[in-house]
Amino acid sequence: MAQPAAEPDDPRLRERFERDVLPLLPSLYGAAMRMTRNRSDAEDLIQETYLRAYRGFGGFQEGTNLKAWLYRILTNSYINTYRKKQREPQIVDGPEDIDEWYLYDRLGGRSVEDSAETAVLDTIPDQAVKEAVESLPERFRLPVLLADVEGFSYKEIAEIMDTPIGTVMSRLHRGRKALEKALWETAKERGFVDA
Amino acid sequence: MRERECGPDCTETLLEVEAYLDGEVDPELAARITDHLSGCSPCLDRAEFRKHLKELVATRCIEKDVPEALRDRIRAIIADA
Repeated sequence: MAQPAAEPDDPRLRERFERDVLPLLPSLYGAAMRMTRNRSDAEDLIQETYLRAYRGFGGFQEGTNLKAWLYRILTNSYINTYRKKQREPQIVDGPEDIDEWYLYDRLGGRSVEDSAETAVLDTIPDQAVKEAVESLPERFRLPVLLADVEGFSYKEIAEIMDTPIGTVMSRLHRGRKALEKALWETAKERGFVDA
Repeated sequence: MRERECGPDCTETLLEVEAYLDGEVDPELAARITDHLSGCSPCLDRAEFRKHLKELVATRCIEKDVPEALRDRIRAIIADA
């Protein structure tokens, strides 16, 4: 791919990019995988993100929130380039219809022990958790990823997604409920719970 | 889990527990919830479950290995500049 010369000619800027931005690659790549749901698109998305970040790095103010800045670039690149070509997963019920303690209530009552619900969660394999997250519609998936995987605050997520904070809170809440349902379905299908 | 009457403190705690676990409630409310959870095992059990669910998503969605080819592509961006 032809790449026009990037902005930062200043070797100090380049050094700072290598020191501060390169170590975030695993975390950005993980987010890209959950966004695009396939490795080839995730790799392209990350390349585009790093290219944009490198070109814009001169304008990034040191001492401000670098991680949020990068996730904003990642999210924008994803929305502008990859979203169009991907089909949104369809879920039958809107998250509004899902009970408040959906998964807890279903996992509970299977054992007389306290915290049996929590123990069942640990038996679900990584791949099944990933698939459950990836099954969420994007408007719910992104806030859940940003909050729970990346640990961003509501305010940071609002900035990254360019969405009002109230919308972030509502989507996060509904996204988590939808995730509980998806995890339950996965656990049932794979026989981790009897239902 | 033992059944018990759900009081106003339980209602508030269960309503706010998500924001509480996200670290997004004001300190006064956070203290009230912490205090309630220390004495109410049904609420604590639910709070622990939610916390565990958050951790599950956090720890299982990580990609442990970045493909070497992708690392090369990123290095090339910097080298080409």
